[in-house]
Amino acid sequence: MELNWTTFLLEILNFLVLLWLLKRFFYKPLQNAIARRQSAIQQQLDDARKMKKEAQRLQQSYENDLAALEQGREEAHAKLQRELNMEREKQEKHLTELLQQKRQKAHVIEQRQLRESHRQQEKQALEQGSRFAASLLQAGAGPELESRLLEFLLDALHKLPAEQRVSLQQSLAGQHGPVEVSSAFPLSAGQRQRIESGLNELSGHEVQSHFRQDEQLIAGLRIAIGPWVLGANLRDELEAFAHLEEAAPSE
Amino acid sequence: MNSGELSPEVVFHIGWLQFTGTALTTLGIVAALGLLAWLLSKRLRDQPGALQTAAEAVFIAMEDAVRAVAPDHVKLLMPFVGTLWIFLVVANLTGLIPGLHSPTRDLSATAALAILVFLSVHWFGIRDQGLRSYLRHYVSPNPILLPFHVLSEITRTVALAVRLFGNMMSLEMAALLVLLVAGFLAPIPILMLHIIEALVQAYIFGMLALIYVAGGLQLQQLKQASQGKK
Repeated sequence: MELNWTTFLLEILNFLVLLWLLKRFFYKPLQNAIARRQSAIQQQLDDARKMKKEAQRLQQSYENDLAALEQGREEAHAKLQRELNMEREKQEKHLTELLQQKRQKAHVIEQRQLRESHRQQEKQALEQGSRFAASLLQAGAGPELESRLLEFLLDALHKLPAEQRVSLQQSLAGQHGPVEVSSAFPLSAGQRQRIESGLNELSGHEVQSHFRQDEQLIAGLRIAIGPWVLGANLRDELEAFAHLEEAAPSE
Repeated sequence: MNSGELSPEVVFHIGWLQFTGTALTTLGIVAALGLLAWLLSKRLRDQPGALQTAAEAVFIAMEDAVRAVAPDHVKLLMPFVGTLWIFLVVANLTGLIPGLHSPTRDLSATAALAILVFLSVHWFGIRDQGLRSYLRHYVSPNPILLPFHVLSEITRTVALAVRLFGNMMSLEMAALLVLLVAGFLAPIPILMLHIIEALVQAYIFGMLALIYVAGGLQLQQLKQASQGKK
């Protein structure tokens, strides 16, 4: 166990050489390689962080866009719903009005038909009444009735209003030929005389009369003066009765 | 483990220089490690292979160990302490190779390493703090402590050398004796013991060297820190 100085010095020298060799070929290259790899890893991490941030930003952006789209969709849906409601209300209102108009129209038509039906019924009733009265009066008609109707006619001639009297006088003045006097039964001479007297009095001058028998009148007389027809007979009265509904003012 | 000789035999002479087996083995270790390092440096890739991964693991482990003791001087101390660990592990394990001795069973080798550690303590201390500032710590807090500081330096250096030498030499002697007594049954456990002992002794030597050097560096920092607090 003695100290060999040569070995001692060589050991120191060897160690220093080894220190240099390792420093030159082991520590520095290895340190550089590790640093390079760490740098690359760091770069990858930085890139990954950037990508993550970018991805998060894009995600946020897409979420915002999605939210905006969703909001837009909801707004459009709400707008569409409002428009649909408005359109529906409008259509409903229009349909209601149309329906109302149709109802009114139908009501009017119904009323008209009802009135027409009433009128027809009334007309039919009047005609039936007229026919019934005509057959009844025809059975009961006679010279006596005609005499009373003559009296009634003559009385009416006397009581004519002034305007009608003037109008009749003008018609009589313009009359060419005799005035036609129709009667249901043959008139007696006295009766004819009374009629001519009445006409002469009405016209103020001599009036020629032509008498004829018309059984259609049932009973009474009819005097035609130009456009005027003076009637006091059952036929005209019954016809007037039968057409009473037509003469009434329509509603 | 082939011989029980306490002093390595001289292989050849060149004048007064006596080349022993220890020196030649160390030379071989240095050449092998240098060659390995050179080959490794040529094959470094960004995608490391198995060898590079192992080398990086060793490097990072050593760096972490140095950082744990001297976090501010990792770059400065790492090559020296790392070289100590690598050399000692390889040197200690060389004894396992038939026909070779561990260089560390030679007191000349361990003494050389201890002297290097001793010099490194002062070298790094002076380099970091300057000569006057570094030497001042020997007379602080009181010049009376100077002899004790000097004695401490000498004894710890001697202890460093003798500890490694004693352990490795005794390990080989004990292994030889066990082999003589137990014949062929003992080699494998003895080999396991040798490996563990080699690693432990390398770790202890390197860690003590690191602590001594870091102590020399951090004395000044502790002093500055305490002055800053005042």
